[in-house]
Amino acid sequence: MANQSGGVYGLTILSPIKDDPNSEVSPNLALRIYLAKLPRHRNSPFAKVSSTHFARLVVMDDVVYVGMPACEEHLQSKYLVFESNFDGDLDTYLERMAAEIPETVDAVWKHCVGFPGVADVAAFKAYMKKCQIETTFFFADVNDKTVQQTLRALQTQSAVTAFIVKHQGASPSELQAAFAHFMEKLNKAPLPAPAATLGKEFVDELA
Amino acid sequence: MSNINGKAYAMNAITPMKPWKTWILRALLFIFAQAVKTSDLKKLSFIHFARWVIVPHRKFPRVSGEQPKENLQYDYLIFFSNFNGTWNQYIDAFSAVLSTGLDAIWWWSEKFPGAVPVTPFKDYIALVQFETDYYYDAYPHATTNDVKAAHRVKAALDELAAPSPNMSADEFAKSYLQFLTRVQGDLGATGEPPVGT
Repeated sequence: MANQSGGVYGLTILSPIKDDPNSEVSPNLALRIYLAKLPRHRNSPFAKVSSTHFARLVVMDDVVYVGMPACEEHLQSKYLVFESNFDGDLDTYLERMAAEIPETVDAVWKHCVGFPGVADVAAFKAYMKKCQIETTFFFADVNDKTVQQTLRALQTQSAVTAFIVKHQGASPSELQAAFAHFMEKLNKAPLPAPAATLGKEFVDELA
Repeated sequence: MSNINGKAYAMNAITPMKPWKTWILRALLFIFAQAVKTSDLKKLSFIHFARWVIVPHRKFPRVSGEQPKENLQYDYLIFFSNFNGTWNQYIDAFSAVLSTGLDAIWWWSEKFPGAVPVTPFKDYIALVQFETDYYYDAYPHATTNDVKAAHRVKAALDELAAPSPNMSADEFAKSYLQFLTRVQGDLGATGEPPVGT
């Protein structure tokens, strides 16, 4: 299936945005204002849906006219594009969105036509699937590792580098003892939070 | 700028295609997905995730009667990419490494000038690109090469650690040296991206 590459799912959703000529702020602009203020790093709502590798929300105003001799045409609606790359299957992901970031989902998609809200999870999933466009070709450079495995690997890489630097020139017995201690601390270390930069102090402490 | 989060850039591009050409592109993308071209994408090694999505002119989602019906002649090809580096580096690399593959994909879009020479290609991409309003990246401090290197280090470390409690100190030192040799190209710290990406 083109939506999937290994263990990663490529979700593409186009949700038509409401058109309200009588509102003081048009729905598409209100949506853009909301998205501009949404946290992008550790406090991002998508960090809570922790199977998300990358996600984007885009207001697509219109199709593009590329010039003569192509025909000029326009969309009747603006569309909210949701592009997400996540671990696992679509149903689980949508259920996690509904359970873990319901306020964000409501605040974003309330600007879209026909959005039923997330309180009724079945209706929400049906709506999202109705707006889904099948991915024709999906490429994932690393498609066999989860977000958590990647965060753990990045943490390990940094910690190992610091360990190697710290223990240059140690005798075999000192090195073996230090390594055993290092592995014990590394295995007990909490998993880094998604979208958080790993602190240098934390890595040094592990080494 | 919302196109950028940490070391990743989110690109969106939309191009019109005559509907009869769509089927040719679908067939080509199906073949690419099965075989060779992904290896060219992997060669670039700065794309985390990318996708091409064909939206047929009659298949823009219509979710209720209150939504006006679209009246389009063209199908649309939408390209999404999550890559590391600058826009210029990306398009340059695409043009240099993947021109044949990109020509095969975008040739069916109206007024596509070809991936080579690069100047009209860049002009075209700039014309059809649209901006990202919100961009999330679970590991913004890491490039795709960092991710792959980190997984290699983790795998090598696990192999070193498993038998290490049962080794003598000298045996461990020898294994540790082999480990260092194996991972030396994959070490280093990730961190904040340089200004300008």
